[in-house]
Amino acid sequence: MAQILDKPRCVLGTLLIAALFSAGCGREEVQVYRVAKDQKAAGSTRQHHPGDGHDHSEDAVPGLAYKLPAKNWEEAPPGEMRAASFRVKGEGNKTADVGVFPLPGMAGSDLSNVNRWRGQVGLPAVQEEELAKLAEAIEIDGSKAQVYDMAGENPGSGEKTRILAAILRKSNVAWFFKMTGDEDFVASEKKNFMSLLASMKFQGAARAASLPPDHPPLGAATGTLPPDHPPIGGAAAAGQAPSGAGENAPKWEVPSGWKEASPGQFLVAKYTISGDGQAQAAVNVSMSTGDGGGVAGNVNRWRRQVGLDEKPVEALGLKKLDVNGGQATLVDLSGTDNRTNQKARIIGAIVERNGETWFYKLMGDVPIVEREQDAFVKFVQSANYPNAPR
Amino acid sequence: MLLDKIIRFFCSLRLTVVCLALGMLLVLVGTLAQVEMGLYKAQNEFFRSFFVFWGPRGADWKIPVMPGGYLVGGLLLINLVASHFKRFRFSRSKAGIWLIHLGLILLLLGQLLTDMLSRESSLHLREGETKNYSVADRQVELAIIDPTDPETDKVVSISQSALRSQSEVRHPELPFTVRIQHWYGNSIVENRATNSAAAPAASHGLGPFATVKELPPVTAMDRRDVPSAIVEFVGSQGSLGTYLVSEYLEQLQPLRTPDKVYQVVLRPRRIYKPFSVQLLDFRHDLYPGTQIPKNFSSRVRLMHPERGEDREVLIYMNNPLRYAGETFYQASFDPDNQGTVLQVVRNPSWLTPYFSCILVGIGLLLQFAIQLFGFTLKRRTA
Repeated sequence: MAQILDKPRCVLGTLLIAALFSAGCGREEVQVYRVAKDQKAAGSTRQHHPGDGHDHSEDAVPGLAYKLPAKNWEEAPPGEMRAASFRVKGEGNKTADVGVFPLPGMAGSDLSNVNRWRGQVGLPAVQEEELAKLAEAIEIDGSKAQVYDMAGENPGSGEKTRILAAILRKSNVAWFFKMTGDEDFVASEKKNFMSLLASMKFQGAARAASLPPDHPPLGAATGTLPPDHPPIGGAAAAGQAPSGAGENAPKWEVPSGWKEASPGQFLVAKYTISGDGQAQAAVNVSMSTGDGGGVAGNVNRWRRQVGLDEKPVEALGLKKLDVNGGQATLVDLSGTDNRTNQKARIIGAIVERNGETWFYKLMGDVPIVEREQDAFVKFVQSANYPNAPR
Repeated sequence: MLLDKIIRFFCSLRLTVVCLALGMLLVLVGTLAQVEMGLYKAQNEFFRSFFVFWGPRGADWKIPVMPGGYLVGGLLLINLVASHFKRFRFSRSKAGIWLIHLGLILLLLGQLLTDMLSRESSLHLREGETKNYSVADRQVELAIIDPTDPETDKVVSISQSALRSQSEVRHPELPFTVRIQHWYGNSIVENRATNSAAAPAASHGLGPFATVKELPPVTAMDRRDVPSAIVEFVGSQGSLGTYLVSEYLEQLQPLRTPDKVYQVVLRPRRIYKPFSVQLLDFRHDLYPGTQIPKNFSSRVRLMHPERGEDREVLIYMNNPLRYAGETFYQASFDPDNQGTVLQVVRNPSWLTPYFSCILVGIGLLLQFAIQLFGFTLKRRTA
């Protein structure tokens, strides 16, 4: 009798468990919901027109605030690729178009962008050394930017055209501010264009997206995770780049006394070197496909890390160093570490090869860097790169 | 009879021993596999699966080589329940064993429930910022946003599993079909110069300015895959263009239809809440004169209009905020110390392991007491 009673009870138990297993297997593949538009970290002063197609959320081009410089300047729907658009009206139906274009990464060098714009007004291309002379320095929300003024004849329409363009590289975003229109009209509005640039403020997410100091150079190669994305595992940075090189790391001879450390999300390798007391220095190795933002861009990035001003390429004091299969660029910088406010020195080496650029940086306490500089140079020279041209 | 055989199989002690042995083997192999695979993948392949599959490197086929965590745990649970009902009759002398078994069943069921129902996500806030959602750590969604209403956004969210496994998604709320032309589980997105010979990733949005490459999945614990996809939107009058969507591209890309402009973005999956949290202040205190962290804390403002709640809470290490079935732990922070990352855990069955351990403990004590009592009684009567 007990045996007969057991069966249904057993079957019931089994079914119950099977049901539990099968529950919760299917999560909805498409969901629809309505949510309030996202709040910004700081109150944006940007003026919106309801339903104008502007993005009001933080994921849109992050918090850009500005002041319209004159009454004849008005906001226009931003359209594709733009963070903001303006229409400038003048006498005799003259108009000019102003756009703000943020592009992730470095979005090409200044030279290639300027030459593209010059082509649009029928001007010949210029070389790197002429570029510095054409640039007008300006500050946008505390960051240095360059303004270029180009006028000529539009090769398509034959109209006299002027382009005013500013390039600002901030965090991992290249911002382009461009005004295009009739040559004389744009010239007469240049003052207002400059005031608009001076009034620009990046807010909220744009600041959050700033890269950690050890982030490899952004060039052609890398982007960042959205600023909202939380760090994964031990990484404590708000913006992250993926690994692409870990598996193809070069082989090198590591000097004695260098301790291997977890390279984290951004680096191919990391070593720490201890000195007296708490003094420390670190060697970071990273890689980027392409030119990784160029030598000047990266040396200037390092300069900022030790509180030095940016300089044009010819004033950077670059030296050459023989390495496996070519030459490297070597730089030596002393200043004050942004993060610790302690005296710090950087010795950096940039090796360009096979469409990749390798960045080596020894940074830290001045006496340690002094002591380790020869070992660092030997380390860079010892690198044996994998045959992985991309 | 077949049913008898099945019942006998599920009630057998042999099955218990085999399951326990397999469980131990699974823990050993699964732990060792983390070296190669990383924690997350090993967890999924060994413990959150019915079978562990193996295939030669580079081959596109795999065979099951051993039972996975779900199968071993499930069999053990069935075995325990079935044999309990079959073999044990309740008697006062076995009350302790009953409690022990009940505790074990609860433990196994609790783990199953935790696995099915618990949800971990993160909430990243800059100082002053308010959010009413957290984001899943390793899942993305393709959000198609209709921003025309000035107050609210209507979002159609397509899950990562749909993007990965389906070639086409249609939904009554969308006036177009979403065709997933290519899904990249891990990828790198690069800028593309306008005169570049490389083909652009897509025709519209940021697509013409970028190229995308597939990368092998990452295994290190502190790294993660960054997915991308090429999607085409097809309306009633034909294609609206192909778009590159990627977790790298945080900008919303405009998608123009004849009626309105939508916005598309591939972003970490959002989990919305009926309340919002604002970060008032993040503190990262150091021991004086050193760089050694002393304390991390986030002072947040919790706002739940429906409940009329608006209060400040201090979240710091080992002092999470428990609210509305979720626990907010201080997990990380921004390098500039002006932002915080809270880990948000929802685990409705978080109490079951405590109950099970208490039950097992009481059961052991009771059974021991019964045996001891019986033994001493026997001796006295002898």
